[in-house]
Amino acid sequence: MIKIEITEGLITFFKNDDSRKQDGAELIFNGRVRATEHGDSILALEYEQYEGMAEVELTQLAKNTCEKFPINDLFCKHRIGKVSVGETSLHVVIWSKHRQEGIDAMSWFIIELKKRVPIWKWAILQDGSRIPSECNH
Amino acid sequence: MINVTVKCFSQVKYAFGEDQFILELSVGTTTLELEEMVREKANGQLDDISLRIAVNQKYTPIDIKLNNGDEVAFIPPVQGG
Repeated sequence: MIKIEITEGLITFFKNDDSRKQDGAELIFNGRVRATEHGDSILALEYEQYEGMAEVELTQLAKNTCEKFPINDLFCKHRIGKVSVGETSLHVVIWSKHRQEGIDAMSWFIIELKKRVPIWKWAILQDGSRIPSECNH
Repeated sequence: MINVTVKCFSQVKYAFGEDQFILELSVGTTTLELEEMVREKANGQLDDISLRIAVNQKYTPIDIKLNNGDEVAFIPPVQGG
């Protein structure tokens, strides 16, 4: 099963689920906003999406990941709008029978997300100005 | 003539200072021809930026003819996460 959500405002993390009896691995990834961007201090990042297409591409990517790797579930929340330094912009949870397939799936999912899901970052600098981020990491 | 809406994101939005604009094009204009026009309109600001093309919210890897009412996005490198 997959769950995808693109949301404004603070991310509410997916709840811990101790009822799973067949999943030996639960991988959790939280991407957070760093205080610096190419060496410059920033106040926040502002995430921009291509509304509609971003959710379609993210959902398709989650399906592709579940087909490519033997994992059971993939849940993902991606934040848009202004995200302050330290806050979570991306939250992903993957459940699998064993750890390695979950780790591999998580890595591939995030690499692909950064190639094909139409979401971009704007850096909000200390003086309040807003420029397209140059960071692709 | 046909009208297409060009959606602008990230560096494309920065170059044009607007979220979208409408262009009137000759019938038969293709996506790559439109990309040339958009790059020229940007006065060099997009010269070093690779752009993928999406038509009606789907990536379009080949050059296709545009239709009246199409929504076209020139997508700079994405940065989610």
